[in-house]
Amino acid sequence: MTAVSDSEIILPPSQIEELLRTLVKAQRAFQMYLPNNPIYHRAMGNVRDAFKPVWGATDEVILTIEETECIWEETVVYQQLNKTESFSWSLYKDGMRILVLQRGCEQDEIVRFLQTVNQAKHLPTDAGDDLSTLLWEQDFEHILYRFPELLGDGAPLEVAVMGPPSAPPDEVRSEVKKDVEEGTPADESRPKGVVDIDDFDSTLYFLDDSEVKYLADEVEREYSRDLRASALAGLFDVFELNQRPDVHQEVIDILDVLFPNLLNAGEFRACAAVLRETQALAKVTEDLTPELRERLRGFDRRLSEPTIVGQMMQSLDEGGMPPNEDDVAVLLRQLRPEALETIVIWLPRLASGPVRTLLESLADELATANPQEVLRLLRTHESEALPGIIAQVARLQLSPAVAGLGSVLEHPDEGLRLSAVGALGGIGTPGAMTQVERALGDSDRAVRLAAVKLVGERGYKGAQRRVEEVVLTKRRRDIDFSERRAFFEAYALILEEGAVKALAEILRPRGFLQRKRNPEQRMCAALALGRITSPDAQAVLESVATDRDRQVRNAAAAALKAFKE
Amino acid sequence: MTDPLGGRQDAEDQRSATDEEGFLRHSGRALLLSLYAALRSLKLYPLENETVQKALDDLQASAGALIEAEDEIEVRMAGDFIFVNSTRLRLELDNYASFSQILSIFRTFDIGTLHVGAKVERREWQVFLSLLLSLSTREDPEDLLDELQSRLARADVAGLSLEPRSGAHDMDEQEMAREMAKRTYSQGVAVTKDVVNSVRMGRAASIKRVKRVVQGIVDQVLNNETSLIGLTTLRDYDEYTFTHSVNVCIFSIALGKKIGLTKTQLYDLGLAALLHDVGKARVPLDVLNKTTSLDEDEWRIIQEHPWTGALTLFTMRGYDETPYRSILVAYEHHMKTDLTGYPRSRRSRELGIYSKLVAVADGFDAATTRRSYQTIPIQPDEVLREMWENPRRGYDKVMVKALINLMGVYPVGTCVILDTFEVAVVAQANPDPAFINRPLLKVVINEDGAVVPPPGKTVDLGGRDAAGNFLHSIVKVTNPERYGITVGDYFV
Repeated sequence: MTAVSDSEIILPPSQIEELLRTLVKAQRAFQMYLPNNPIYHRAMGNVRDAFKPVWGATDEVILTIEETECIWEETVVYQQLNKTESFSWSLYKDGMRILVLQRGCEQDEIVRFLQTVNQAKHLPTDAGDDLSTLLWEQDFEHILYRFPELLGDGAPLEVAVMGPPSAPPDEVRSEVKKDVEEGTPADESRPKGVVDIDDFDSTLYFLDDSEVKYLADEVEREYSRDLRASALAGLFDVFELNQRPDVHQEVIDILDVLFPNLLNAGEFRACAAVLRETQALAKVTEDLTPELRERLRGFDRRLSEPTIVGQMMQSLDEGGMPPNEDDVAVLLRQLRPEALETIVIWLPRLASGPVRTLLESLADELATANPQEVLRLLRTHESEALPGIIAQVARLQLSPAVAGLGSVLEHPDEGLRLSAVGALGGIGTPGAMTQVERALGDSDRAVRLAAVKLVGERGYKGAQRRVEEVVLTKRRRDIDFSERRAFFEAYALILEEGAVKALAEILRPRGFLQRKRNPEQRMCAALALGRITSPDAQAVLESVATDRDRQVRNAAAAALKAFKE
Repeated sequence: MTDPLGGRQDAEDQRSATDEEGFLRHSGRALLLSLYAALRSLKLYPLENETVQKALDDLQASAGALIEAEDEIEVRMAGDFIFVNSTRLRLELDNYASFSQILSIFRTFDIGTLHVGAKVERREWQVFLSLLLSLSTREDPEDLLDELQSRLARADVAGLSLEPRSGAHDMDEQEMAREMAKRTYSQGVAVTKDVVNSVRMGRAASIKRVKRVVQGIVDQVLNNETSLIGLTTLRDYDEYTFTHSVNVCIFSIALGKKIGLTKTQLYDLGLAALLHDVGKARVPLDVLNKTTSLDEDEWRIIQEHPWTGALTLFTMRGYDETPYRSILVAYEHHMKTDLTGYPRSRRSRELGIYSKLVAVADGFDAATTRRSYQTIPIQPDEVLREMWENPRRGYDKVMVKALINLMGVYPVGTCVILDTFEVAVVAQANPDPAFINRPLLKVVINEDGAVVPPPGKTVDLGGRDAAGNFLHSIVKVTNPERYGITVGDYFV
């Protein structure tokens, strides 16, 4: 505090009022906007500008903080009677009574100060911090403050009142001499306590370079090591090395509270450790009450509950930082198979690309390792996870899932049946193709079309009979040209050279009257022959190159192109 | 040093001392408040104004009341404290602003002490305060005190005299540091007591207060660690668990400072150190305070305190997040570097540096302290020697070396005999590293065998005569109990 009247003369109170107004506005801006917002920057600039005229007159501003007012040089320079909006109240309520702003605070400290005030303002009353502890952590150089008597005084440390010496001075002096003589170096074996500087290794009083480095490394390790893992290991040691049910119960109680907090904090590695250890302890701990053993086992089950898995997905997705892939993987590997359903449901909802990629690959691991769960989900037609599971099975080409996909072909939703056909085609095993063949008779055109294309591409002979039904008989008059064409092409791909004769008969006029089949069938036969690409097929196609039916000529010409390519 | 025969007289002396201190606190506060009120009214109103006249009357009356009891008044500024006739005035909510203004003005003039004579007149107060106001507006702040003093002399002001801060400044700083240290220490003990008692009663402790205390200890150690370390020699101030926790916190932070930890790291360390023994809150008091030797079951209960402490901290409310570092220090502080000790470890574990550091601080304070199951404290130098030389103790060697480095050849509180046959206690290591064996002492028994009452006579063993010979040297470390010396008395 400089001379009271120095600043009074040079600096009008209105200037400090203006400074306070700017500070309060900035405090609100820092609360409402992120540092990359222009308003935040403007507020910072305004604060710096507001200090300029003040520093022109004085080096520090000393404010007395009252409930609803800030006082400078006995003048009220800020007042807000509404405490919830009051800057002074946000300082006063935590005990600040004097605030000193010194030249230099405007550079950086004032922003941190206002941010800290905002932080403290919103702390609950039972929080472990308040304005006083938070400001201390900021370690300001140009902002001073006083929180008088927050802690109160403890019991006074008083000097014991000296009584007279236990013996007259002469006796004390003799005692001292005797004491020294007891320890004179003249004695052969010098009694304990007699001092000789040679007793001391002077190197003890200086740490050498390697010791200094050791300490520096240890400090670095302290701040990089996984404290949670270490503390949890201790907790599990306490559990394991104690036989007392009350200790077991206390540890489990702690874990009960800790576990959701760890999940919430994204401490997935620690969560995984809890799951691993609780399962192991449930198995190996003797003399554990059934109730406690069940509670230990419950951690594993609880984590895989849909709500908890869902929360985990949400927190991963909404967390500002991308999760540590290894940590999440470690945790998910502890999940029970039934968690797959929730993960698969959540995957399409995830907004974060990296999180989705990570979880997809981890869900794939879970699905691969648990085919029974995949089968169960595929057979649960009402499950919201069904589309995701089908897509996952398709991506992974999980052959153990074929029966489940077959079950999906009974699903009323044609979209799901179509996906199932795609997945089955991707798997492509004889079992899968058997299911695809079933889909040739599906009520939905798109499903049939996908199935017939697949059986054709795969040359799946098991489907020959169903394909012939369309190609060689008139039973399926209901299907349109493109579907019929797909069947014809599938027929050609399945039978290859063996299909030429039948297709030629359909394509060429036959009998004495040169009767022709309908043009649509002939066109399909021509296009199918184009998929065989044998000399016989080519000859048949060339024979209809001058057919009177233009559509047939065009189809044959298009099919012949395949021979030239 | 205590004498049971003098007990009744002691109690009476203490009571009258307390009464006198209370009077001085009350009247001193009234004097300072009226001084400020008069100063303020003179600043706002002309001299003849009724408010000014009344304020001067009040000031004269306040001073008169004190003079009547004390003959004269000495108002002394030491750092942020104001002492009236050696009694520190408490800063309270209804006076802090006035005290702060007075301190500020006195600092502006570099006034260290204001003496108020028995015959001070009202007029002299008026002159003094008017000069303070008029001179404080002067642009050149140099020689303000000289100017003030010469103007007071010219105005025939004999009842008020001033002493500069310079000269007495170092002593003021020391006095202030000692006062601050005492306050921080007693607050530390009170807060630890609150935490331990809360755990005992199953109540929530105030973590905010724990943090404030540790922040205070960090500040104090960073500014002047000697005063606080001296207080760790205090015995029987309160239950061992409380004082020991505060001592370990102080030693840990001082040791942390020695090895170069940052302020924030010292804070982390201090929080962990203050609560390292919180598990003892769960030890039955009859076991904790047992004065005879402990049986096997009782030892087992005592040895549970590291892990019960960890469990307690896991559930302690008020932390924003689980205090893992404190949990680990509570859990590991009795583990040796080879992981023997207690509690046993089954899972892989690597002791953290803070656990090793607190273990050293804990071991040092525990061994040098008289407690329920260790009735004979060991001399600090012997403790350090044992910690260094006995590998079975299991301390981190570098950490012990750092502690020796912190404490010096003769740790604070060590009782020594000088070549003059004076008996002294070590007050602080010599700041000059060339004099590791020549600490600063407080002489407690002079060369004639007479007791020197606290705070003792300060002697720097680095001092030499004109011929370059050391004035004093230590010839022996001795046991203070042989002379009935209570070492802690000399640090309060």
